[in-house]
Amino acid sequence: MPGRQLLMTFPLTVGSHTLAEYRARGGYTTLEHALQQRTPQEITQAVTAAGLQGRGGAMFPTGRKWAVVVPGDGQPHYLVANADEGEPGTFKDRWILEHAPHLLLEGMLLSAYALEARHCFIYIRGEFDLPYRRVAAAVEEAYAAGWLGKPIGDSGFACDIVVYRGAGAYVAGEASGLLSSLEGKKSYPRNRPPRLTVRGLYQRPTVVNNVESLSNVAGIVAHGAAAFRAVGTDKSPGTRLISVSGHIERPGVYEVELGYPWRRFIDEDCGGVLGDRPLKAVIPGGISSQVLTAREVETLHLSHEELWSAGSTLGTGGMIVIAEGTCMVHLLQIMLRFYHHESCGQCTPCREGTGWMHRIINRIVAGEGRPEDIERLYYIAKYNDGTTICGLGDAAGYAVSAMLDKFRDEFEFSIAHKRSRYEGHIE
Amino acid sequence: MNPLKLELEALRARFPPGFESSLVLPCLRRIQQQRGYVADADIDELAASLGVPRIQVEEVLSFYTQFRRAPIGRAHLQVCRNVSCSMRGAERLLEHLQRKLGIAPGETTPDGRCTLGTVECLGSCGTAPVIMLNERHLEQVTIAVLDQLIAELK
Amino acid sequence: MTELVINGKPVQARADQTVLEVALASGFYVPTFCWHPQLSTAGNCRMCLVEVEGRGLDIACNMPVSAGMHVLTDSEDVKAHRKAMLQFITLNHPVDCGICDKAGECRLQDYHYTYNGERSKSGDPKLRSHKLVNLSDRILLDNERCILCLRCTRFTHEISKSMALGVERRGDASAICAAADRSLALDPYSDNLIDLCPVGALQSREFLYKARVWYLQPTASICPGCARGCTVQIWHRKADWQLKALDARQNSCIVRVTPLENPAVNGPWICNKGRDLARIFERRRAEQAMLKGTPVALDAAVDAARALIQGARHPAALISNWASNEELAAFKRHLGGRFTARVKRDCEPQPGEPLQDDLLIRADKNPNTAGAQALFGDGPPTLPAATDLVLIWGEGCDFAALPHGAPVIYLNSYLQPENGHADVFLPLSVQTERRGHYTNFAGTVSEFQPCFRKSDSVADAEALFEALALPAAVSA
Repeated sequence: MPGRQLLMTFPLTVGSHTLAEYRARGGYTTLEHALQQRTPQEITQAVTAAGLQGRGGAMFPTGRKWAVVVPGDGQPHYLVANADEGEPGTFKDRWILEHAPHLLLEGMLLSAYALEARHCFIYIRGEFDLPYRRVAAAVEEAYAAGWLGKPIGDSGFACDIVVYRGAGAYVAGEASGLLSSLEGKKSYPRNRPPRLTVRGLYQRPTVVNNVESLSNVAGIVAHGAAAFRAVGTDKSPGTRLISVSGHIERPGVYEVELGYPWRRFIDEDCGGVLGDRPLKAVIPGGISSQVLTAREVETLHLSHEELWSAGSTLGTGGMIVIAEGTCMVHLLQIMLRFYHHESCGQCTPCREGTGWMHRIINRIVAGEGRPEDIERLYYIAKYNDGTTICGLGDAAGYAVSAMLDKFRDEFEFSIAHKRSRYEGHIE
Repeated sequence: MNPLKLELEALRARFPPGFESSLVLPCLRRIQQQRGYVADADIDELAASLGVPRIQVEEVLSFYTQFRRAPIGRAHLQVCRNVSCSMRGAERLLEHLQRKLGIAPGETTPDGRCTLGTVECLGSCGTAPVIMLNERHLEQVTIAVLDQLIAELK
Repeated sequence: MTELVINGKPVQARADQTVLEVALASGFYVPTFCWHPQLSTAGNCRMCLVEVEGRGLDIACNMPVSAGMHVLTDSEDVKAHRKAMLQFITLNHPVDCGICDKAGECRLQDYHYTYNGERSKSGDPKLRSHKLVNLSDRILLDNERCILCLRCTRFTHEISKSMALGVERRGDASAICAAADRSLALDPYSDNLIDLCPVGALQSREFLYKARVWYLQPTASICPGCARGCTVQIWHRKADWQLKALDARQNSCIVRVTPLENPAVNGPWICNKGRDLARIFERRRAEQAMLKGTPVALDAAVDAARALIQGARHPAALISNWASNEELAAFKRHLGGRFTARVKRDCEPQPGEPLQDDLLIRADKNPNTAGAQALFGDGPPTLPAATDLVLIWGEGCDFAALPHGAPVIYLNSYLQPENGHADVFLPLSVQTERRGHYTNFAGTVSEFQPCFRKSDSVADAEALFEALALPAAVSA
C-alpha cells in the first residue's frame, strides 16, 4: 500500500456503495454531529487549517476558495461537485462515484452547511454509465433516508442535490464551462473576474469542487485538521487518488500518501512497467501535465511541491506510464487531436492554435514535417500560455512544450527522416 | 411526448425556481433516449415549454458530442482512441472494426445494425482499451470480444 | 475616483471602469475586435492584452481598475502578443480583400498593417468553410472570414432581442448560424450586424459588390421612416469617382445607408427601414410641372397657382409632416396668414411593418410631425366646409375626401396618378437634395445635409412659398 489511506479504507463488496453499508461503516455520523455541535464557520476553518488542496487539477486551497463566499449575504449560494472527469488518463473520481458515493454526499452536505448552500449539483460527464447510476441511486437513498430534501433532524439545515449529466465536452470539466453547461447552454468558459465564488451559477456565489476534494471533507471534520496534516507532507497534506494506466502491469486507482516515492509506487505497488520493459517516461497528472523522463521520475516523490519544482504537476492524478520503444511523436499527435477536438472555440489563441498544432503534428507523423515545425509548435504554445479564457489552451501548450523539451531528438528525427524512429509504435 | 412530459415536470421540480434554462440538457437527453435522436419538432416544443430561445437548443445540440439530430444504427459502437487506450491497442481495434463492418467512423452499416464512432477519453483508462456500446462501457476489449459482439449484432 | 498609471501617465478613473475604458478615454488606443461599448464583455478576441507591472498580461476589456496599478499598453511584450493574436486570427482568414466589401473600413486590415505586418507563420493550407450563407434575405455570411468575435450573436441577444444568432459546433469548426425559425429575417435591426462585424463576414446582400467604400462619401442625414429621426450617413459616389460608363442617375444615387452615431437619438443603431432609404427617395420622381395633367414650365405653373391663391376666399392647406422645419417656417411666413393649415399624416404604417418597440421604432412613420404640429397645431386634417382652394403638400392625402369642387394645388416629389388631376401640379425637391432640420417625437432637432443636386425642373419648397405669396402677375 502506497502509504496511509484515508478514503480507500473499506473492502469493496457487492453492496459497499449502498447507504446501509456506508452507515454501518459510521457514515453520516460526522454530518449529524457537525450539524448539532459545529457552526458553518468551524467547518470552513477545519478545511482551511487542514490545508486541503483541490484535487481536480489546480490544487487550489479549498478553504481559500470557500472563504470568498460571504455568509448571510442574502443570496442563494450553490455548491457543485465536478464529476466531469475528462482529463485523459484520469479515472479516480469514478472510483468514488462507483464505490463511495455516500462519502461524496456526506462531504457535500457538510460543505453545503459551511457555505450556506441550499442547492447542490453533481455535474457528471454524460459518458459515465455505472458511476452515474450509482451516484443517482445514492442520491435517491439519501432522499429516502431524510438526508436530502427536508431539514436534517432538528438542525434546520436542508439541502437538495441534483445530479446533472453532461453530454460530451471536455471543456465542461473547467469550472466556469461547467456552470455554463449547468445553465443549459454550450459549455463556454468565462473570463475572470468575477470569480465564480462571487458570481457563478446564474450569477450567484458558487463553489465548484472536485469529487475527491469533497470526499475528504467528512474525514477532516471527523478527525480534525491536525490528523489530516499528519498524513502526507507539509506542503501537500493528505492523500491523492492516483489513476494509473498505460504500460503498467497493474493499472487501476490507488490511494497514495503524498510524499510517497514515485519509482517505488510504479515498481512495487503497481507491479512495474508492463512486460518488464524499461521505463521511458511518465505523464504524472493527466495529459495536460508535463511529461517527465524516467531519469527525472527516479528521484521524485509524489507530492505537489516536488512535481512543481520539477516543472510538472500532479494535476488530476492521471498517471500514464510509458515504456521504452514508444514513439512520443505519435503520442503527442493523439494529445493534440484531443485538444483540437475539445477546444470550445471561444478565444482566438486556443481555437486557432489547437487546430494549427494538430495539423503540424499530423504532417510530421505523415512524413511531411518541416524544419521550422518545432519552433512553430513552441511559438503556438508560448502564445497560448496565459492568453486564453480558460486553461485548455495553456494545457495544450504545456503538453507540447514538455514533449519537445524532453524528446526533441525524436521529433527532429521524424522531420529529417520522414518516419518515426520507433515506427510509430505506442503499444 | 406526454409520458415524457410528466417525467420532465418531475425533473423540473428538483431544480430551484428560475432554473428552466438548465433543463435543456436533461430534456434533450431524455428525448433522444426515447426517439433515438432529437427531431426539429422536439426543438420547437422544448424551447417553447422551457421559455428559452430556439437558438440555445440548436447550439446545445450542435456543441455536445452526445446529441444527434438524425437516427443512427441500432448498435452505437464508439471506440476510445485517446492516449491510454491507444497504448493498449485501441487503434488496432478500430482498424479491425472498420474492416469487419466495412464502414469508417461516423458511418452506419447499410443494414442499419451498427454505427461506428470514435470518442475521447471515457475515464476508464485502467481497463483500456475501452469501447462504448450504446450506453454501456466494454472494458479490456480484445479482437475476440469484438468479433463475438459483431456476430451478436441484430 | 481611482488613480492609476497608464504608460507612465497618471489617470483618474471611476471605480467601476475597466482599464480599456480608461485607456481609450485617456487617449491611449488599445486594439479590440470583440469589445463594443453597447454590448456585454465577451473577452474572446484577446487583442486588448495589456501588461500590468507585477502581474503580467491580461485582457483590458475585463480588467477592473485598481488604485496604483501601472499599465503598459505598448510594451515589447504587449506588441509581441498582439502580433501573435493577429497571427492566430489570420491563420485561416481568407485573403479576400480584393473581393471583400469590407475592404477600406476593415479593422483586421488596419490592425494587420499597424500591429503585425508579417506573413503568416503557417505554411499550411487555410481551413475552408461556407462562403455564401444566407442568414436571412438581407444578410450574407462568409464563414471563412468570421473571427468569431460574437458581436453579432450578442447583438441579437442583448440589443435587438431577436435571439436570432448563435454558434454551431465548436473549436475551429465553429460557425455563426441563424435560428431555424426565421427570427433573423424578422429582426428589424438585423442590418446593424453589418456595421458591427469588424471584418467582412457579415455582408449586406443589398450592397454586395456595388462599390468600393473609398469611392463613396457619407453625408449626414436623417431617416424619415418614423418619428425617431435616427441620424444616418447616406453614402454616394464621390465627385472624383464618378464612372463615365454609368448614367447620371447611377452616379448620384444612394449606394448604402449606415447609422450616424448619436447618443441623443439612436446611439449607434438604425432599423432596417433606414437602410432602405433608396426605396423611399428613389421612387420615380415627378419632374414636370402640370396644369390638369398638361405639362407646362415651372414658372407657368407657379403663376397659375398664384392666381388661384389670389382668387380664393377660404384657401386651406394640408401640411406635409415630411417637411423640414425651414420649409414649414417658410410656409407659415409667406402663406400662413392666408391659408387655414392642418397637418396631415403623409405616411401610415404598411401592413407587416413593425409598429413601435422599446428600441428605436416609433408608430408615427413620419419624420417631422413634431415640427409641423409646433407651427400648425395637432388638430385632425379635416378642412372647413367653406374651403374653396386646397393646397396639398406631400403624400398621403385622401383625394376623395376633399371638398367637392375646390381647385387643388398639389405639391409632390413623386409620380402619382393624382399629380395629373390637380389643377396645378408643382414638383418638389426631396430631402437628399436639401439641407434642413427635423424635430423628432421627443423634441430633439437634428440636421440633414444635401447629397445630390436637384433638377432645375423641380422646386425647393422654401423658395416656392415665397414665390406663391407674391401677387399674381398681371396678364401679359
